[in-house]
Amino acid sequence: MSEVALRTPRRLPGLGPVLASQLRYQVTILMRNPRALVAGLVLPGALLALERGSAQHIAMAQAAPRVAGLIALSVVAIAFFTHANTLVIAREDGVLRRWHASPLPTWAYFAARITATVFLAVAAGLVLILVAMGLTGLHLSGHAVAGLLADGVLGALALAAVGTAITALIPSAQSAQPVLMLTYIPLIILSGAFGSLTQLPHWLTTTMTYLPVQPLINAVSGVLLHGGSLMTAHDLLVLAGWAAGGLLVSFRFFPWDPHRPGHARRAGAGTTARSA
Amino acid sequence: MNAIIVKDLVKRYGGFTAVQDVSFEVAAGQVTAVLGPNGAGKTTTIEILEGFQAPTAGTVQVLGANPRTAGRAWRARIGLVLQATSLDAQLTVAEALTAFGSLYADRRRVGEVIDLIDLAADTRTKIGALSGGQRRRVDLGIAIIGQPEMLFLDEPTTGLDPEARRRLWSVIENLVADGTTVLLTTHYLDEAQHLADRVIVLADGRVVADASPNQLRAMGGVPVIRYLLPAAAPQLPAALAGHVDPARNELSLPSADVTADLAALVGWARENHVDLTGLEIGPPSLEDAYLALTENEGVTSHV
Repeated sequence: MSEVALRTPRRLPGLGPVLASQLRYQVTILMRNPRALVAGLVLPGALLALERGSAQHIAMAQAAPRVAGLIALSVVAIAFFTHANTLVIAREDGVLRRWHASPLPTWAYFAARITATVFLAVAAGLVLILVAMGLTGLHLSGHAVAGLLADGVLGALALAAVGTAITALIPSAQSAQPVLMLTYIPLIILSGAFGSLTQLPHWLTTTMTYLPVQPLINAVSGVLLHGGSLMTAHDLLVLAGWAAGGLLVSFRFFPWDPHRPGHARRAGAGTTARSA
Repeated sequence: MNAIIVKDLVKRYGGFTAVQDVSFEVAAGQVTAVLGPNGAGKTTTIEILEGFQAPTAGTVQVLGANPRTAGRAWRARIGLVLQATSLDAQLTVAEALTAFGSLYADRRRVGEVIDLIDLAADTRTKIGALSGGQRRRVDLGIAIIGQPEMLFLDEPTTGLDPEARRRLWSVIENLVADGTTVLLTTHYLDEAQHLADRVIVLADGRVVADASPNQLRAMGGVPVIRYLLPAAAPQLPAALAGHVDPARNELSLPSADVTADLAALVGWARENHVDLTGLEIGPPSLEDAYLALTENEGVTSHV
């Protein structure tokens, strides 16, 4: 067999510039996604304003979990719901396939996409904190802001990792919305984002402590009440576990190609899923 | 030197065989068109060559490497235009080209690519606001920004208007002039005729012809008498009337005895005072040859 020699030895750019360019690309796309801004910023912001407008006399001890809940709502909306939904749409549109066929390393795509998501989710959370400070007269030290940032990054990372992993189970953009809604809304409500639910069975409240939203609410609430306190070891481990588990599952099972049923392949449309 | 070597390629999906014992080689710098009706195995073959799918059996080499295991350096040497446009609608043309360009050390300048794909007026237009033809050109721009040695074009002009198709052809011709090897699948036989040095026809997952466009036309059989009938032409003799394409109102008569058939046509024209300007006698068109080949294989053509 004859083989074609390289025209010229192909150089590849350094991974730093590649990653920086990919991050810029992913942030640009997310910033221009109206769904991320509405679900992650406008909705929680409006709920926060409504809540404070109807109950201005609430003490900080009562307000902190509510504010933390709405911040968690914002982070979940961006890092889980929007992230997973847009990933499925990009897969179905063939955008992911094009990136996968390019010289971009697989890990660099994930790293940039998840970093952009975490960045936007944390930024939205900080904007909500500023709104809460304006509405409640809440004051935060630099130490507390650093604590919020750390909690937000870990929480958003865990949710983005789970969001990436769950896309392996979603065959089409059409089914993404219902599947994600069915996970996102119960998770938010049962984790206490809109107020703690005292009537829940014990097994359910215990389960919620092992899912990624309640630890985030606990951590943010703790910072709002006590300053820059660290999250509990339990909450830290839960979030770190979801982040690591989500990333591992994603790297193993993430499909880059749109799902095509067998009859479509027979009709001439190729493509089967290929894991990362 | 061969850019592509395919040997005894088989691809099965469960009990369905999409590609069966396909073998061919593509020389570097050549433009090869893969033709075939829907379900013939064109896209499956090209996806195996691009590395998206693994063959069930057989071997494939593209630029000297197995596409399934080749690394980043290999991917930097190929360019792809996928069957469907695959771009983020929120980005502008320049942003998309810049993002993909950053993956290559030896890349074309974004401005140069924009000129090549003739989108200078839309540099800052979001991709979602472009027409189908313009998006296809952005697709091509992304495929060529890394100066690929091998370009895969999967139905690159499907759905484009004639002018947009001609523009895209012109871009491809310029790339070929620079030495790029091109493998394209298409449903348009005029596209294959215009661009390709060589045509591979697939039917039911097998290669049924592998020749230059002119050789393929010659394989279509007997010469053809073609004549575009005037709007109010009188009824042709029964032997000829059965060969009129009603959509185009064109007589297209495969003729084993040109003299006799021509005499019948001329006789009819003299009798009815019909002007025969535009009458052509020649080898079968690529379409005639293609239809003959695919019909021989018992498949229904969708061309």
